[in-house]
Amino acid sequence: MDGDIAIDGVPVQKAAEAIGANDVPELGAHAQDALRRLLRVWIGFERDLVTVPLLRRLDLGTYTLADHRRLLVNLRQQVVEGSRWIARAASSMDRDHSELRSMILRHAVDEHRDYTMLEQDFVNAGGELETILNRGKNVGSEAFHAFMMQRASQPNPVDMLGAMWIIEGLGERMATGWAMRMEELCEREGITRFMTYHGANDDDHMQRFYAMLDEVCTGSEVVERIEMTAKVVARLYRLQLEEMDDE
Amino acid sequence: MKPVYITSTGWHLPGPAITNDQVESVLGAVNGQPSGLRTQIQKANGIQTRHYGIDANQRTTVSNTQMAVHAGQECMDRAFRPIHQVGMLAVASTQGDHPVPGLASFVQAGLGMAEVEILTAQSICSSSMMALKGAWLSLRCNEHEAALVIATEMPSRLLKRQRYEAATESTFAKKTVDFNTEFLRWMLSDGAGALLLETSPRPKGLSFRIDWMKGWSHAHALPTCMSVGSSGKADEERTWQDYDTYADAEREGALLLRQEVRLLDHIVRLGVDGYVRLVQEGLNVPSEVDHFLCHYSSHHFRPKILDMLDAAGVGIPEEKWWTNLYSRGNTGAASLFIMLDEFVRTQNPQVGERIMCFVPESGRFNTTYMHLTVVGNDGR
Repeated sequence: MDGDIAIDGVPVQKAAEAIGANDVPELGAHAQDALRRLLRVWIGFERDLVTVPLLRRLDLGTYTLADHRRLLVNLRQQVVEGSRWIARAASSMDRDHSELRSMILRHAVDEHRDYTMLEQDFVNAGGELETILNRGKNVGSEAFHAFMMQRASQPNPVDMLGAMWIIEGLGERMATGWAMRMEELCEREGITRFMTYHGANDDDHMQRFYAMLDEVCTGSEVVERIEMTAKVVARLYRLQLEEMDDE
Repeated sequence: MKPVYITSTGWHLPGPAITNDQVESVLGAVNGQPSGLRTQIQKANGIQTRHYGIDANQRTTVSNTQMAVHAGQECMDRAFRPIHQVGMLAVASTQGDHPVPGLASFVQAGLGMAEVEILTAQSICSSSMMALKGAWLSLRCNEHEAALVIATEMPSRLLKRQRYEAATESTFAKKTVDFNTEFLRWMLSDGAGALLLETSPRPKGLSFRIDWMKGWSHAHALPTCMSVGSSGKADEERTWQDYDTYADAEREGALLLRQEVRLLDHIVRLGVDGYVRLVQEGLNVPSEVDHFLCHYSSHHFRPKILDMLDAAGVGIPEEKWWTNLYSRGNTGAASLFIMLDEFVRTQNPQVGERIMCFVPESGRFNTTYMHLTVVGNDGR
């Protein structure tokens, strides 16, 4: 306890001070509609994560170092394969979507560094490097990856914004909600650097995301497609977390 | 279907206003030891004063039934309709004075209402909205011309020191800090609020027309977050009546009020989900809402989610939020009615203004909403 009570992950005093502090972008009607839909998909996703056994143990305080290794070993494949579908999505964007392509490419560079950090976290948590390097995908990661590659291969797959919304959102949740709790329960440091690394520059990410959303949301059809991709990604991400194979 | 109006309000807040520093002298220091968490929890919830129906020796000064009766009487004293012309009484509380029968029977007796239809709603904060919806629909369907709805709450008897001292084998006794068991001790307090519903507006002054009421419960997806009845120990499936004696249940801590604090975030987020859902369903038009009365104050919401609502075109400007939580305390089920009562008496609402009410319940994640329009004696 640090003297403040966090409600919704933020100490309430700090939250009170920050109300209205940030610049809120002016979005078009379709982008606003998309944002409302994405917000609901996200809230539903977070709600449903509570009952994922491994994550429930975080709430109950029974999460162990073995659980943590199991989580990392199962996440690695998605992170590794992530670079592939991100690159595929970038190459599927035509010249009218060059801004989006640049953003995606910048993202791919970050992702590349992610999995080496994850592997090091695994070793710091007492795992063998060999174990994590030789690990295949679990059932959920298999489905997740197949869907992402399929969507990324469509011409101008702007609905990847829906996927980004969920994946980035979870990255932020890992950094702000999970990482500290995991280190506290496992009584070990240096096992969540992959997760905390994601937390930086969050406000910039949001502003860029809003700008992209505003640009691509030109009609209700696009909005619905973005929402659908977000929903599928949320469901498959949860499947991946439910289908945690043993270390 | 008939239009239905809230035509009168009343409240009862027992005893004097108790400041933060006085709280522990009323509820009592457990085993004579001052709590190490009290100041921190009070600072976080921002409540300055509240009321209790127990005295400094933890003796009950007013029952839950009596508080409900007092609030009901105040509401009827301000009404144009005599109480014998009220056909229905709906009463909500987390816990009545008796486990059985329902609290409405006792309140009916206290108010001397002859041969009325009664409804008892038992849950936590949102039980008020359950009772109100039952009454609202009864009037809509022409079953009655008037219904008295009362929400009353007396958690002090659950929170007094003797409860914790008797729980010698509980998680509270075993740990130096048991945040989940102590959290609500410094949050909740006593009080009752009453609303009169009628199918025609007040002949003089203002009424609130109830435009719609909606609720969504997420119990299918989430574990229990706030409860009395289980010990809170891992792998313990018994609830209070499964122990050989009530004394055993009490010793194990199965009668203590508990909040799984780590799950609390979800009730705020799910509240936002329902709010946006109402926008999508066309019922909630935020730009047309003049006042936002929420059982939580705005500082409980994460700034990021409030910014996102702004960006999505459905934000609620800070000046539209109104609450009396900080001065009247968090009275659970009674809180919205106590809020509406003070709002109408002190905030000078204008005909045509729209009010959005939101009552979340963390128990097992129920979110309830109501939309009101301020009307004159012609119903417009």
